[in-house]
Amino acid sequence: MLTVSVKWQKEVFKAVEIDTSQPPYVFKCQLYDLTGVPPERQKIMVKGGLLKDDADWSTVGVKQGQKLMMMGTADEIVKAPEKGPVFMEDLPEEEQVVSLGHSAGLFNLGNTCYMNSTVQCLHSVPELKSALTKYSHSVRSNDLDQTSHMLTVATRDLFNELDKSVKPVAPMQFWMVLRKKYPQFGQLHNGVFMQQDAEECWTQLLYTLSQSLRSPGSSENLDAVKDLFGIELASSIHCQESGEESSETESVYSLKCHISQEVNHLHEGLKHGLKSELEKASPALGRSATYLKESRINGLPRYLTIQFVRFFWKRESNQKAKILRKVDYPLELDVYDLCSDELHKQLEGPRQLLRDEEGKKLGLKANEKSRSSKDDDFKMTDAEGFIKCNWRIIWDYISRRDSR
Amino acid sequence: MSDPKSGAGTFQTKAPTKEPEKKDEEHLSEEDLALKQQLELYVERIQDPDPGLQKVALESVRHEIRTSTSSMTSVPKPLKFLGPHYGTLKAFYETMPESDLKKYLADILSVLALTMSAEGERESLKYRLLGSEGDIGSWGHEYVRNLAGEIAEEFMKQQSEEAPIEDLTELVRQIVSFHMKHNAEPEAVDLLMEVDDLELLVQDVDNTNFKRTCLYLTSTARYLPGPDDMLALDIAYTLYLKFAEFANALQIALFLDKMQYVSQVFTSCDNLLRKKQFCYILARHGITFELDDEMAAEDDDREVLQDIINNIKLSESYLILARDIEVVEPKSPEDIYKAYLLDGRASAGASVDSARQNLAATFVNAFVNAGFGQDKLMTIPSDSSSGASSGNWLFKNKEHGKTSAAASLGMILLWDVDSGLAQIDKYLHSNDKHVIAGALLGVGIVNCGVKNHCDPALALLSEYIGNEDSSIQIAAIMGLGIAYAGAQNEQICSSLTPLLNNARTPLDVISFTAISLGLIYVGSCNEEVAQAIIFAVKYRSESELGEPLTRLLPLGLGLLYLGKQESVEATAEVSKTFNEKIRKYCDMTLLSCAYAGTGNVLKVQNLLGHCAQHLEKGESHQGPAVLGIAMVAMAEELGLEMSIRSLEHLLQYGEQNIRRAVPLALGLLCISNPKVNVMDTLSRLSHDTDSEVAMAAVISLGLIGAGTNNARIAGMLRNLSSYYYKDASLLFCVRVAQGLVHLGKGLLTLNPYHSDRFLLSPTALAGLVTMLHACLDMKAIVLGKYHFVLYFLVLAMQPRMLMTVDENLKPLPVQVRVGQAVDVVGQAGRPKTITSFQTHSTPILLASGDRAELATEKYIPLSPILEGHVILIENPEYREDS
Repeated sequence: MLTVSVKWQKEVFKAVEIDTSQPPYVFKCQLYDLTGVPPERQKIMVKGGLLKDDADWSTVGVKQGQKLMMMGTADEIVKAPEKGPVFMEDLPEEEQVVSLGHSAGLFNLGNTCYMNSTVQCLHSVPELKSALTKYSHSVRSNDLDQTSHMLTVATRDLFNELDKSVKPVAPMQFWMVLRKKYPQFGQLHNGVFMQQDAEECWTQLLYTLSQSLRSPGSSENLDAVKDLFGIELASSIHCQESGEESSETESVYSLKCHISQEVNHLHEGLKHGLKSELEKASPALGRSATYLKESRINGLPRYLTIQFVRFFWKRESNQKAKILRKVDYPLELDVYDLCSDELHKQLEGPRQLLRDEEGKKLGLKANEKSRSSKDDDFKMTDAEGFIKCNWRIIWDYISRRDSR
Repeated sequence: MSDPKSGAGTFQTKAPTKEPEKKDEEHLSEEDLALKQQLELYVERIQDPDPGLQKVALESVRHEIRTSTSSMTSVPKPLKFLGPHYGTLKAFYETMPESDLKKYLADILSVLALTMSAEGERESLKYRLLGSEGDIGSWGHEYVRNLAGEIAEEFMKQQSEEAPIEDLTELVRQIVSFHMKHNAEPEAVDLLMEVDDLELLVQDVDNTNFKRTCLYLTSTARYLPGPDDMLALDIAYTLYLKFAEFANALQIALFLDKMQYVSQVFTSCDNLLRKKQFCYILARHGITFELDDEMAAEDDDREVLQDIINNIKLSESYLILARDIEVVEPKSPEDIYKAYLLDGRASAGASVDSARQNLAATFVNAFVNAGFGQDKLMTIPSDSSSGASSGNWLFKNKEHGKTSAAASLGMILLWDVDSGLAQIDKYLHSNDKHVIAGALLGVGIVNCGVKNHCDPALALLSEYIGNEDSSIQIAAIMGLGIAYAGAQNEQICSSLTPLLNNARTPLDVISFTAISLGLIYVGSCNEEVAQAIIFAVKYRSESELGEPLTRLLPLGLGLLYLGKQESVEATAEVSKTFNEKIRKYCDMTLLSCAYAGTGNVLKVQNLLGHCAQHLEKGESHQGPAVLGIAMVAMAEELGLEMSIRSLEHLLQYGEQNIRRAVPLALGLLCISNPKVNVMDTLSRLSHDTDSEVAMAAVISLGLIGAGTNNARIAGMLRNLSSYYYKDASLLFCVRVAQGLVHLGKGLLTLNPYHSDRFLLSPTALAGLVTMLHACLDMKAIVLGKYHFVLYFLVLAMQPRMLMTVDENLKPLPVQVRVGQAVDVVGQAGRPKTITSFQTHSTPILLASGDRAELATEKYIPLSPILEGHVILIENPEYREDS
């Protein structure tokens, strides 16, 4: 009969007796009583080896008073969950891409980056997509020419393809139709297609779409493109010499950011772009005079397009030159101060709501106490639609153009 | 470092040139003029035939010279005025008959020769030997220094010409004892080293100067060639032992890696508390050492001491430190990634689990919570909510990923064998082979650096060595290697070596077996193991030699000779017979391992030479050569700076395979020591167009910042994580690096150097080198299915703390000053050893290059270097300020 001490986790059981005439299994059963670990889960370390159930005590060589160590727990054995997680690496390549949040790309068909970036920008406008899907293939309104129709159809098909595919798409058909409609994009230089201006492509394409997506028959307010991209400008024209004043309104598809020496920020450029001088015949003076035209935004679209006017015409050398000046732009653009008084009034309510909402986020308390939440929601979306233009699209447009 | 020759050189201001002398004569003051005439009179008298007059004259001259005092920068007046007569006196000396007077004159000539003798003539020495051999110090300090310089020259000449050696010993002895008495220990040591007779030093060392002497000896040893350095350290050891500075003696014994010296320290000291301190030093060094009856007579005492060496309480101390610094709270990988600090895209998590990113999170979690015993992924108590047990995270890893996940439990419970084994146990019963493998590896990791008398790791793991599944086999073998690194356990050796020679063992098992054997027998030069590995290399087929994992075979061989310099030569010869494909690779690995941590400049040049070649056949030996530069040069600060610069050059002119290794080499050189210039280089490389260079740079950013929580590196890595968010492999590396930077929440270090950068822990270095070699082929090994090689880093993980304990080994908070270490070798007086310090209360963390000293006189530390565990005893002479 030997007595040993057994260490189990942080506990020590002193003076555990071993009956050396019995197999070690009996000893393990003793330990089961002490620790609650079933014998088959017990591991007892003896001199760098494990004690086997059927070993012979005499060969194991346990001494009186020796310290043994036991390992083992009564814990439940870990089982794999029945439904293991699905790993991204196991998914087919297509789905992997989607799960990362990328959309399909476009092949460059030879200096067609201007077109690809334009298409990608437009493609990310869901409203335009839905408007296009409604456009029927066969029915062509009478006042639309054949090529415009084809271009619209091609745009629709290309968008569809981009949505379905996860692999890059080659926009062959679209390009062909685009060249047909606007032959200037087909210009060759040394046998290859020339570089083109994305702004031009954007303007032309939007023009075409606005023509074709106008709902025939109904009132012209239902111009989808104008709804999404059109900017209402109210301008006052003032002649300093004669003091004549007149005002006019117009609708444009983009705001211009003029880049001059003093423009460091997008906002300054925009302000700059809304002021212009023009020469026209002054009825009062009976000759042409310089007029100052100041425009303000009278209606904001859902998606605000801004063109950085980086090209200018060098008179001395008769060449196009690029202005490389760095112009900062914010990730969230507020054009409130470019708006007309009329629009200000419209915007004030929603803006206040937005501010309160922001304030709430920052932990400030709103001034108004009780308002029906429904009302709130409605106005919120309204406000957001008005002011927070989808800035990313335009940003993408710029970055792609510049990284060409 | 002062050199006798240059010391003498300062005094070789020969007599002023003629021109100014004439001018001087015109402006001589009356006093000087009188002295000059007086001396001239003496010179005449010396040449007088009357011995009586001669004697008086000689005595007077002698008196004049000895009493003359002057600043160090100008020649004393008597010497100056006697100068012109040097020739006459010399000529007269030759004519004199042998007598006492002649010897007197020789003495004076010897002194005059100090300024007058032509360079290289060594007349001062010549006349000194002919002179009366009286008290050497009576002629002043400069005279002695000049003599020492001439002796060194003479000795060199005698050696090179093999001329009969004139007996300089007596003179040397005189000079040495003069120097030792006058606080000029470096000069004495330098002179003795010049004449190859360091033993002479011992008799002149006493209580007042042994510390400075030993300090000088130990620090010069780094710059000495060949056997001289060992000799210098040997002397230092003897001196420390003689003056009962046992802790210092022990450190030198460990540096020399002489176990009999270590035993001698134990037997020479009879103070139990001091012995406990020795055990703490041994434990930090990470070597296996068994105490016997002679070293500690009482059984109980021996058990206590052995427990300290075995690091039984390391986990406890570490947790005390963690509590004191208030970092016990577990951290999740998200706390480390800090994705909310990044704007936009990267923070938007993918909706689907990525196996690779989950694996990265597993590693980050393991590194960050290492040793804390709790985390947020693996150790959630199973009863927290039904089913939501730790198994959940485990099974979020795929296949071999589960191995690393299960093994991470070992890392989290590092050093805490009791609860570690209890928690890992349940995974051993799993029916998934990857989980079992991970559990086995975890058992090895838990036991890293901790020895238990029951050897649980050996008992458990040896059961699985012969398992039919190779992934289980590999994990068990690697676990053994980690748990028993440096133990030289024969039982393991005898069960592992047969695997190497078995033709049916798969290549990956063989590779890991070689590494484990290398770790277990690190620096032992064990013949038997070396033979087994050589055999394994020789019988690889041509195609197997091309496999990425084969690189571990030569490394295993190299580890056997880690830091053992020439002992590797026999094996290096054998390696020349290997297949051409691996021959050079093996050569480089052996060379770099053998000279690792020696700072041997010649070997660095040799390795640089290999890197300068432009290869055409696509050989791969330049990778280990680049790592080798870092391994050899990391020994001391100067060499380290130089090699950082050389590596920059390699980066510019080297081929791609070199450029891939350079970041890793930089990582090793500055491990856990984020130097700003290296950080910038690595940051630049982390955007390299070659993705493997970038990956290595990213991992190395983690290595240099390991355990520092360095905010700048953390920021860089965060930006990299958004830069590489599309590239799964690079993102994995970034994550691992982020985990490393926050290793142990900033309480751990990977630096293998400790004790004021004096000692190099062989096991720690072995672990680092193994991991780095595996990183040489990142794509196949770390990014393949052998990512658990990252766990080799555990060998180098140590708390970077200073924990002061009382006589019962309980933590004792005291005020300490912590600051930048200052090199005080060879400085006069009692210079401050730290600068720009702050006062804290222990336990504290020490950054690299930091040194601590007690801010109170109340206690006396038993270790000269305040690092790790230090026992304090009360100062009996301390009086409380009233």
